[in-house]
Amino acid sequence: MEPLEIVFYLQAPVALGFPWIFFDSLLAHVRLKEELGERYYSLPTKIPLGGVPDIPIKRWRDVPVASVSIFEPSTGLHTFSYFKRGDFPFLRGKISRASGFFKDFYLKAVYVPAVRVRFYATGELREVERLVKLVPALGKERNIGFGFVRKVEVKEIEREWGLVKDGVAMRPIPVKYLKAYEDATYMAYKPPYWSKHSVDLCAVPFTRVELA
Amino acid sequence: MSDEWLDRWRDYFLAWYDEGSVEDKASEVAEFASRFLDDGLVSVSGGKDSMVMLHIIVTRCRPDIVVFHWDHGPWLMPRAVEEEIRRNIATVAPKARLIVETYSYGFKPQARVDWRPWYKAFFSTLRGLGYRYHLLGIRAEESSRRRARGRIVQRKHWAEVHPIYDFTWRDVWAYIFKHNVPIPSVYFTYVRLLGWGRVRLTTFFDMEMQRYGQPQVDSVLSWRWRHNPLV
Repeated sequence: MEPLEIVFYLQAPVALGFPWIFFDSLLAHVRLKEELGERYYSLPTKIPLGGVPDIPIKRWRDVPVASVSIFEPSTGLHTFSYFKRGDFPFLRGKISRASGFFKDFYLKAVYVPAVRVRFYATGELREVERLVKLVPALGKERNIGFGFVRKVEVKEIEREWGLVKDGVAMRPIPVKYLKAYEDATYMAYKPPYWSKHSVDLCAVPFTRVELA
Repeated sequence: MSDEWLDRWRDYFLAWYDEGSVEDKASEVAEFASRFLDDGLVSVSGGKDSMVMLHIIVTRCRPDIVVFHWDHGPWLMPRAVEEEIRRNIATVAPKARLIVETYSYGFKPQARVDWRPWYKAFFSTLRGLGYRYHLLGIRAEESSRRRARGRIVQRKHWAEVHPIYDFTWRDVWAYIFKHNVPIPSVYFTYVRLLGWGRVRLTTFFDMEMQRYGQPQVDSVLSWRWRHNPLV
């Protein structure tokens, strides 16, 4: 496995559901879609699938050596608000605007108008390259055009920066694996990131840390 | 964004205080509210509207009022915010009798996804308090439903009174900056993203607010409270 730098060049701003995107979760998502095929789109909502698909990323203890997203240039957060209301000009009859196809909703997307998104990881170059080329868009609200990827570049670099770069954490790292840290809070640090079993007291990305 | 941004907005709102006759509006609110205080309870969530209402009543009507505050519990209202709210209420109304009721279900993470028990707990608590008038910081401008309610609403067991019903968001912020009314500092994080007219203090990560897109904003701005609201 080689230290890698992955750069996504964007066509549209990235909408976020968390301040950062995790590179390993992005690969896990692509692998899961590959494994399940069309079944991916009819997953059971009440019973989560067991396990996480194998991804070509190195692990240090149980932490994937893959950074969170670095948005370039850093322009801060913005919001996109949209109110979908069902004012449909039907001639007769009634439609429900409380549920179903015509349901009203208010969309509030937080987005970053970035041009590039950079990740660092340690993994298998060819396989990572293959998987990232299957990513059409990054972040949330991709169905309405957010986060569209123009091109992606993967290149080998000399140093491993997936965990720590210049003394700064590049992803959440549990404090139990650290000798020293500047700031910590409870965060998910390994996939699946939605699971409470992945949550631990972690050093916050982009704060100073020292690995144990 | 720098504090210069905030300073410019402060200047704007202080100018609006005079231009928008906010002082006159506040006097009218005090006169209106004073009629209901003898058998009334001032409900304060800790948000900007209820804090403005509380400040007007305490400084212009009388200080020895009864204040009711509902604590949603840590999974809906992080403790840091809740503690700040209580400090703010004590600062604005030191002589008031403060009644705090705590939502016990709010100590469980399920409270974020199951909001139905809240209504029963909240309204039975209000009924149990036994006051004739409940003064709330609701404003007509907030939604069409609130606009349709009117300034006084007769409920089954009490009457709901909305003293600052005709305040606009500019009036509220002008009053806050003019009189240094303390509000939770989290407002100034959200206001930069959502704007002065749209920012609201709501329960955090509450799926009931999903139709307004609020949990998604919380996940980005208040991510530290996502897994541990006790910090």
